[in-house]
Amino acid sequence: MADLNKFRYTIESCNHCGQCKWLLPGRMYGWDFASVCPIHDYYNFDAYSGQGMLNLAGEIMNGTLPHGEKLAEMLHTCTACGACDVNCKNVRDMEVLDTIYELRKDCAEAGFLPESRKKTAENVVKNHNIYGLPHEQRFSFLPEDFKDDPEADTVLFAGCSVYKHPETFLAAVKILRAGGVKFRVLKEDEWCCGASLWRMGDWEDAKELIVRNTEMFREMGIRTVITACAECFGSFRSGYPRFVETAFETKHISQVALELLRDGKLKLSKDELPVTACYHDPCMLGRLSETYIPWEGEIKSYGLHVPEKQWRRGEHGVYEPPRELLNAIPGLKLVEMPRSREESLCCGQNASDMDPDFAKHTAEERRREASASGADTIVSCCPFCREALDAQDEYKLQYLDLTELIADRLAEEVES
Amino acid sequence: MSFTEQTYRELEAVVGRRNISRDEYILAGNRAKTPEIPFAHKSAEAIVLPGSTEEVAEIMRICKRWELNYVAYVTACLPTAYASKEDTILIHLKRMNRILEINEEDRYALVEPGVRHVQLYPEVRKRGLSYAPPAVGPGGSPMVSYTCTGGDNHVQYGTSRPTRYLLGVELVTPDGEILRTGSLQADEGWFCPESPGPSLRGVVKGYSGNAGRIGIVTKCAIALDVCKGPAEIRKEGVSPHHKMFMDGGLSRVYVFNYTSMQDVCDAILALGENEVGATVQKYFYLPLALMMTDSANEFWEKWGDFKKIFPMPLVVHIAAGSVREREYEERILFDVVRETGGTRIPREIEKWWEEHMDYFMIVCRLQSVLRLGGSWFPNKAYAESTQVMCNVAESVDGFIYDYTDTGKIFDAPKNIQIIPMEYGHFASSELLFMWDRNDPDGFAHMREFTMASAESDRRHHFNEYSMYGKEWAEKITKAFS
Repeated sequence: MADLNKFRYTIESCNHCGQCKWLLPGRMYGWDFASVCPIHDYYNFDAYSGQGMLNLAGEIMNGTLPHGEKLAEMLHTCTACGACDVNCKNVRDMEVLDTIYELRKDCAEAGFLPESRKKTAENVVKNHNIYGLPHEQRFSFLPEDFKDDPEADTVLFAGCSVYKHPETFLAAVKILRAGGVKFRVLKEDEWCCGASLWRMGDWEDAKELIVRNTEMFREMGIRTVITACAECFGSFRSGYPRFVETAFETKHISQVALELLRDGKLKLSKDELPVTACYHDPCMLGRLSETYIPWEGEIKSYGLHVPEKQWRRGEHGVYEPPRELLNAIPGLKLVEMPRSREESLCCGQNASDMDPDFAKHTAEERRREASASGADTIVSCCPFCREALDAQDEYKLQYLDLTELIADRLAEEVES
Repeated sequence: MSFTEQTYRELEAVVGRRNISRDEYILAGNRAKTPEIPFAHKSAEAIVLPGSTEEVAEIMRICKRWELNYVAYVTACLPTAYASKEDTILIHLKRMNRILEINEEDRYALVEPGVRHVQLYPEVRKRGLSYAPPAVGPGGSPMVSYTCTGGDNHVQYGTSRPTRYLLGVELVTPDGEILRTGSLQADEGWFCPESPGPSLRGVVKGYSGNAGRIGIVTKCAIALDVCKGPAEIRKEGVSPHHKMFMDGGLSRVYVFNYTSMQDVCDAILALGENEVGATVQKYFYLPLALMMTDSANEFWEKWGDFKKIFPMPLVVHIAAGSVREREYEERILFDVVRETGGTRIPREIEKWWEEHMDYFMIVCRLQSVLRLGGSWFPNKAYAESTQVMCNVAESVDGFIYDYTDTGKIFDAPKNIQIIPMEYGHFASSELLFMWDRNDPDGFAHMREFTMASAESDRRHHFNEYSMYGKEWAEKITKAFS
């Protein structure tokens, strides 16, 4: 059951300083590209921001505001990108995003979940993927002679996006094979990671799915889960520990590829790739990917947490491996956008079902920023960011998936 | 009259449907109380988001016609940014967010209310210019800082307080008239705060900002200074461990500890006489300890040691135009410190300052004081001569221990800062104190302590917290009644 009282300290600590909405001074850039909260940037009202959502949570908690469809709509239009959380935690000990998650859960339990989210949840429960496509088609693209290592304790987890972008999965396969990594593919046993469920507040279905997946990993002796999907990565690390004890390690393909490159097991082609690229940090690979550490205790006077709490402030997301890989590609010039790493601007895709105009505006804003940084190419490694950022518009930027790019740039002798 | 459907439609016609709301959830985003105040805010009838001065003027005319109350705001950090009566609308100036001009020759920036410090500050730094950033965080509005608050700030030693930096101003009166002050009145641009005829500066700001002012400022020009020391700032790290470095050849930070308030103030005055240092301040040790730790728990682990190491830290930032100038200032600094009995504190603390320069970074980190639950209040926040501020700081011992030793307020009895301005010709003070918001009597303790502080001020003939002092307040009231 949702319990907003668990977040009373956060809700009642907010001084409305507004730091949840604006770039931190450590990344200050100029007049442009200074906002970090996509919904506040678009809708302008303070209710559309971390600060405003804490206020809403407070009134719901105290019973002075009723649940309602409009509230659910606002909550789910927020992309839950976590920029507010990181900004607040730059100087405070507060759980802004977890309060927003709890409020979503509270609303869902009160019967207010937007129709598009209900549909997604139904798809995951019935078909084990977010799109509602037949489960048996999940790996239908694999060639008949595809061989993995069924005894391996490492699994390559494809994620639901494999329905739309099987080429990313195949690129990951190519990288792992080139590096000599033994891995297995779950095929019909692979179900959705559950990110969309727990993030939307459907805790019951999420728990069932996460317990199922974790138990399956345990039975199969899986010790390492590798994925090329930022959403799955973030879910395994920051979502699963909310429900179960996990006995497996999660790695993103960029981390694995970098390790292989450093160990000399992977070599990149010496052919130059003459592009100027910027890297877009997906929220779930960056600031939201820190491992969730459950905490229960008491907040005493003047903020003393007993027992001590391990804070997730966004500092230890996967920021450098993708950049180091890109820097290793001959000819590729890497430039940075003003809003990068823990201050990355969300692509907006997570709200495309709620308000397509807002999602489009946010994606365009990110492409504008990429263009202004001097890039002709945006590289990222999230299938949802890809849907938002791989667009034809005035900025004339090509989008490249990092996993596919690295696979394409493998030296031929390694490939063979 | 009260807020009606007709009123709403009129406002909507001005700003457009997208920029007005009376939805219950939108309104709830702007009425929550903050932890430092003991009362709840009223709910506004509607929130409107004008996009231009003309729209603000039209909104004011509607407010006048329908006898509506209005509150204009940008960040909503202060309790004054909320409705306190029925039939009030909130005018959120976020959309008016352009930097209209940065004039490098006449050295001013012309901004609208919605521009934030994190937007303006880097823009002026790029041009080798700077301004005093008040301690409000990156999302604070420069225009609000310069027109609506007292504005004492951490770099006022080598500069001054915002009152002196405010130039031309555009203000919409409650009648909806657009008033332009300073050189603007004579169509001579934004560069000067005064023009022929009676000064209108006091109408806009006076000493303490918006206390008593009416109307809404929609544009203002802020005077800029040339950057002292290196203009370029190197940034690195990931939050919460961002760091900013300045060229060590031109920029150095020194932190000294003192055991006597009079000695600190003597050092401040001596440095000022020699015009040494870009910023000098007797800093408060509680925020410093909070800024240097990552969590409330880490703070609690280290606070005992911090209190012993630097109960009275004097922070001096030297920012020079050349290495030779820096070395010259350092020699004088060390002489002054030796003569006044200061001691260097552990290098680790100086290093922290060096890694967090410049002051925009420092003042944004200052939000860390809210980490202990958010219940805080400034006291003795006024300005006088440096010696009077020294006397004010010394007077605190006379009443604070009744509160710190009994746990009524946080145990940081030496937590008063003194920041000289204009090389020590004036100084401002701030006794920042906190109380336990879990304690049902917390607010009562806060009020009791504030009263005791005011009583001490009266006994010593200092300014009261009213900013003006009782006697002057009476004179002003009499003159203007």
